Amino acid sequence: MFAFTEASETRIEKILAKYPESRKVSALLPLLTLAQDQEGYITPEAMIEIGKRLDVSPAYVESVCTFYTMYYTKPVGKYVVKFCINISCHLNGCDNLMEYTARKLGIKEGETTPDKKFTLLKEECLAACCEAPVMQVNNKYHVNMTPEKVDQVLESCK
Amino acid sequence: MTEILFKAIDTPNLTSLDVYEKTLDGYQSLKKAFEKTPDELVEMVKASGLRGRGGAGFPTGLKWSFLAKDVFPRYLACNADESEPGTCKDRELLMKNPHLLIEGMILCSYACQIETGYIYMRGEFWEYEELMDTAIEEAYAKGYLGKNIMGTGFNLDIYTHMGAGAYICGEESALLTSLEGYRGEPRLKPPFPAVEGLYGKPTVVNNVETLCAIPFIVLNGAEAYAAIGTEKSKGTKLVSVSGHVNKPGNYEIPLGTPTIDLIEKYAGGIRNGNKLKAFIPGGSSVPMLPASKADVPYDYESLMEAGTMLGSGALIVMDDTTNVVSEALCLAHFYMHESCGKCTPCREGTRWMYQILSDIIGRKGKPEQVELLNDICDNMAFKCFCPLGDAAVAPVVSSIQYFPEDYEELIASLKSEQPVGAH
Amino acid sequence: MDTATQTDTVTLTIDGKTVTVPKGTVVVDAAKTVDIEIPVFCYHEKLGPFGCCRMCLVEVEKMPKMTTACTLTVGEGMVVKTNTEKVEKAQKGVLEFTLLNHPLDCPVCDKGGECPLQDNTFKFGPPDTRMDYNRFNRDKATPLSPVITIDRERCIACQRCTRYSDIIEKDQALVMRNRGFQNRVSTFNDQPYDTRFSGNVIDICPVGALTNTDFRFTARSWDLTNSSTLCGHCACNCNMTLGARLNEMKRITTRPNDLVDDGWICDKARWGYDFTKSKNRIAQPRKQGQVVAIQDACSEVVVSLKKIVEAHGPNSVGFIGSGYGLNEDLYSYQKLFREHIGTNNIDHKTYVDTPGLPVTHFDLLDVETSDLVVLIASDPTEELPILDLRLKKAVERQGTEMIVLNDQQTLMDKYAALSVRYNIGSDGALLAGLNAVLQGQSAGSDLESATGVASSQLQLVAEKIKTAGKVCVIYNPAALTGSAIHTLKQCLATAGGLAETAVGAIPAAPVTNAMGAMDMGVLPDCYPGGVPLSNSDAIKAKWGDTAPLEKGWSALEMIEKARSGELKALVVYRSNPVVDFPGGRNVEEALGKLDLLVVHDIMETETAKLAQVVLPSNGPGFDEGTTTNIGGRVQLRTKGLTTDNPADWKIVSMIAKELGQETAPKDVHAITAEIAEKVGGYQEIKRSAIRKEGKNRAVVPSSNGATASEEIATGDGLILRIADVLFSHDKILDAESNLAHQFQPSTVHLHASDANGLGVQEGDEVSVSGNGHEVKAEVRISNRCNPGGAVLPKVSDEQDVMSLAEAGKAISRVTIKK
Repeated sequence: MFAFTEASETRIEKILAKYPESRKVSALLPLLTLAQDQEGYITPEAMIEIGKRLDVSPAYVESVCTFYTMYYTKPVGKYVVKFCINISCHLNGCDNLMEYTARKLGIKEGETTPDKKFTLLKEECLAACCEAPVMQVNNKYHVNMTPEKVDQVLESCK
Repeated sequence: MTEILFKAIDTPNLTSLDVYEKTLDGYQSLKKAFEKTPDELVEMVKASGLRGRGGAGFPTGLKWSFLAKDVFPRYLACNADESEPGTCKDRELLMKNPHLLIEGMILCSYACQIETGYIYMRGEFWEYEELMDTAIEEAYAKGYLGKNIMGTGFNLDIYTHMGAGAYICGEESALLTSLEGYRGEPRLKPPFPAVEGLYGKPTVVNNVETLCAIPFIVLNGAEAYAAIGTEKSKGTKLVSVSGHVNKPGNYEIPLGTPTIDLIEKYAGGIRNGNKLKAFIPGGSSVPMLPASKADVPYDYESLMEAGTMLGSGALIVMDDTTNVVSEALCLAHFYMHESCGKCTPCREGTRWMYQILSDIIGRKGKPEQVELLNDICDNMAFKCFCPLGDAAVAPVVSSIQYFPEDYEELIASLKSEQPVGAH
Repeated sequence: MDTATQTDTVTLTIDGKTVTVPKGTVVVDAAKTVDIEIPVFCYHEKLGPFGCCRMCLVEVEKMPKMTTACTLTVGEGMVVKTNTEKVEKAQKGVLEFTLLNHPLDCPVCDKGGECPLQDNTFKFGPPDTRMDYNRFNRDKATPLSPVITIDRERCIACQRCTRYSDIIEKDQALVMRNRGFQNRVSTFNDQPYDTRFSGNVIDICPVGALTNTDFRFTARSWDLTNSSTLCGHCACNCNMTLGARLNEMKRITTRPNDLVDDGWICDKARWGYDFTKSKNRIAQPRKQGQVVAIQDACSEVVVSLKKIVEAHGPNSVGFIGSGYGLNEDLYSYQKLFREHIGTNNIDHKTYVDTPGLPVTHFDLLDVETSDLVVLIASDPTEELPILDLRLKKAVERQGTEMIVLNDQQTLMDKYAALSVRYNIGSDGALLAGLNAVLQGQSAGSDLESATGVASSQLQLVAEKIKTAGKVCVIYNPAALTGSAIHTLKQCLATAGGLAETAVGAIPAAPVTNAMGAMDMGVLPDCYPGGVPLSNSDAIKAKWGDTAPLEKGWSALEMIEKARSGELKALVVYRSNPVVDFPGGRNVEEALGKLDLLVVHDIMETETAKLAQVVLPSNGPGFDEGTTTNIGGRVQLRTKGLTTDNPADWKIVSMIAKELGQETAPKDVHAITAEIAEKVGGYQEIKRSAIRKEGKNRAVVPSSNGATASEEIATGDGLILRIADVLFSHDKILDAESNLAHQFQPSTVHLHASDANGLGVQEGDEVSVSGNGHEVKAEVRISNRCNPGGAVLPKVSDEQDVMSLAEAGKAISRVTIKK
């Protein structure tokens, strides 16, 4: 079963107030984000609940959800480590950095560590090209990355 | 050096309304604007020569004047989806000077008789959403937003709205579709957003940087803005210089500054003492140019003449250690990943190009595949539903055009590694 | 000055040909009018422009880029080129992209031979592919539902099916999942796609991605014998193509007729024809349980009938027909009983209704051109599915407003600007109130207590009716209680008299040819063409001096007269009173008392079991003749299968001959011609005139009965409402049906307040009893009806829900126990 927490409900009220009453489906992405923040990923139950709230079918919710890459429909680690692999980062050695991190975590890109702590992902341009290479851990940017800085950041993940 | 957008950008706590007002005459433009009629304001922006900074470079005032007459409500959607590879200028504005954007949005809304504005930010800008929400709250508290702003009877609400990871949502119609809660697939044009935009209503879609230029224009006059830059490319432009340079960063330049100056003077030249090989002047969607063209003035017309575009203002620099095929592959992967899948040539073509480029990089390419790549690009260009398809072919076509030897080298290495007749 | 802008047409040039088309036409459709084919995949005229497949790129003068002809609206003076070198290269390019990951398994593909991808590639495609890589690996042939198979490798992501689900069905059940080349058609969490209209996606799929599971690998499309026929289920009479091979039904597909079905059919039309090959068909005539030759069976009927008429008079004999028969068969039967027996004991229904309308009889197309639709006691989704689609289209895309008046919640409420929910059984009082309000009077002080509806709501309804320019009233006479139909017709007459409003109506009884049965005079009080018995001159002029003029018994009265012994012989045609009549099992006892029961039907039924003589009816698929749909449109149903058994009209003719009729009709067309001659309103109904898209029959004179004042009897228990269900498990959709997955359990829908009072909860297994019978059902606390009512959907014959209803009573009450 999925239910929004009380804190989420407060947020939902604020979110819905942003859009015209007859266009509440505009709140779909924010509500998916909220569900993911709450559960770590988006479950079918959450999709059903969100569909009910916004008066759209759960199929529709799933269709929108799977269009956007920031939504996970399967469980991920506590920390999602994403490396930008686009051109500016590519020119600045993101490949090696990613490989380094993968070795360090003992997993391949797309995988989660057995202790469910880290998931390693490739990401397309994160809009921090002048500070390449860029890494994001959950929602936080880490820029001008080096292997040493990767070590530091991963260590700070408790 | 003229600084309009980045003036005092590194002032501590500029994100707070107080500091913004003290440091930058923040919100002073509102009074000036409210003395004019909305139409006068539109005319002023037209006269300034300001053009859309998101990529298309369409004259901003003209775009505003296209709004369907007498149809209300109207909406403003600020494009803060910044997702063009190489581009990170809007992020810096959002992160360091949110009030400048709010002020610009108020001016635009007043000029266009808009009462609701959304800032569509890419989902990864999570940190800046909080920052922006705080700034918006401050503006409400100060009476710059909300009902009857400064006693003028003009009402405006501004909200942030977060995307969730889709490059295509930077395209204005896809942005609106996404904002409405759909898959971010682009819409048919016409109707253009100015006629039927958000929720089917007339909508202005402007980039962060564009809107941030408005306060200066209102405060200092259209002439002051138009005095900067070239005859047709007015004002300043933020350029994100990234890649193989010593000092990558966002730089504000008067339009018309030679590109080589951006690389050498602003960004400190090529790293490791290497030589410039190629550069992409306007983000990944525009053709790359060889070093020989580096003296091209950085403005809309000159870059167009040189066979490329100013785009979003992202100068990606490659030194002579680079094999451009490798970068073409990197971008091919990007476009394959970001193709929404709606139209056939883009969905299938981006993947096919990626497959072929992978083979070439993997030294499994065949000479005829270069020609095939060119033909796939021809079959995609201007035949897709939205500009993503055109964008996807730009790096491939230009890399083949200017650096055929990079392809030959990779394919030739195949020949040398395999005995003749083995294939 | 500029005349072009003042007209409704636009003239342009396509490949040098001048074309004039209505404003708003897209170039693809404009080109068709001058036989220029612009290839498409994603474009479908019912779905509108989309532009995703890029197959229809054309060059247009003054446009810098090529553009898609399916999204381009025609402009005055536009110059379009579809055959330039540039266009041809683009077409080849797009086809190459389309085929990149599409398997070339055409030899084993059901779409082969009727595949737009094959055809477009043949005409416009590249000779070869330059693709060196393996196809993107996707699932082959997996079930999308029990009746639809999806082959994901063949899908070209044209989104026709998902857009159909969104735009036409309005369900958003079928959607695109993922993006880019990973995108795929899907349902939520991969659950089955099992809506009421799912099968249409098979017909609109331009490749072999969506196929009919039942049809897969059973025949090549070019080996089928296709006949243009009509659906024989509900009263919309959708057009369809029956594909047969070696005289066996293989598949049903759409045969678009915008005036009837708008190009769609429901799943019952598509998969509800297994009965054509069912083991449970009445294969041969029987006499006292023994198979006999048809001639012997007919002779037995004649000998017995003669004996009974001689002994007890003509009014000891009766005929219960049904709206399932064709006009020709029904006409023949009523003629047989009136002319050769001499009785008006003829009927086809168990509810009250009278022929004709006091306002214009609207056709289905009028639904979407009306400003306001008033839907009364009708549940199109379950009763007349294609009307459901038409209403959604009208409301969502044509700007029509809808008011729903019903005693139960239906899916139409979602589309209604106003939903009025009256108490079950209070329809007469509600309509009387509405009539008063329409006449500017008060609805009466006891309206709310009697109906549960505030008079302010009726004021609102009346206001909307008065201010709309064109109003279409759709009502289901079969769902009205008592004599409420008479009040409804008074309302119509009042509304018809409004100065500013054009009012029309669609009588929407759900059975296939209910309209035809009324028109053909299968009624105890009217001759064909709505001629009432009181009009004796007209009757004698047409039917001779011996034509009976005494009012006959209604179907329900015939059952009661059988019970009392006054009725001695009964012919039941295409009807199963034991299961379908109010009283249900009580009917069995009454029929058992008859000296002669003849059942003429397609399938073995509970009623047929009681009959001394059983005659086989061939039914849809095999029969041929005309039906009249709810819009008054008469269409031709042709046969797609043949049988050795004689047609229904032929059997009637054999009986008539033995009863003394001298001339027998040569064929069914002769009867169609006789109907044109004898039945008012059908003068223009000629086979040639209706062959293509049917034709509206002319006005049938309106008659109306007197309203009996029916008070809602107080008493114990909840008022029973039996609701129709599209996929009811009956004789036509039997256990082997392809649609068996759609069968529902027996449920009783209660208002929360009643459920509370009864101490029952959602999902509880309860016994519902009334009329001396008991039905098991699962509780649904759905607020589907007002407090005091209980809705029981008629989900199967086995459920026996009709036994709960008291025959002849406006309302019945039931008690519910855990």
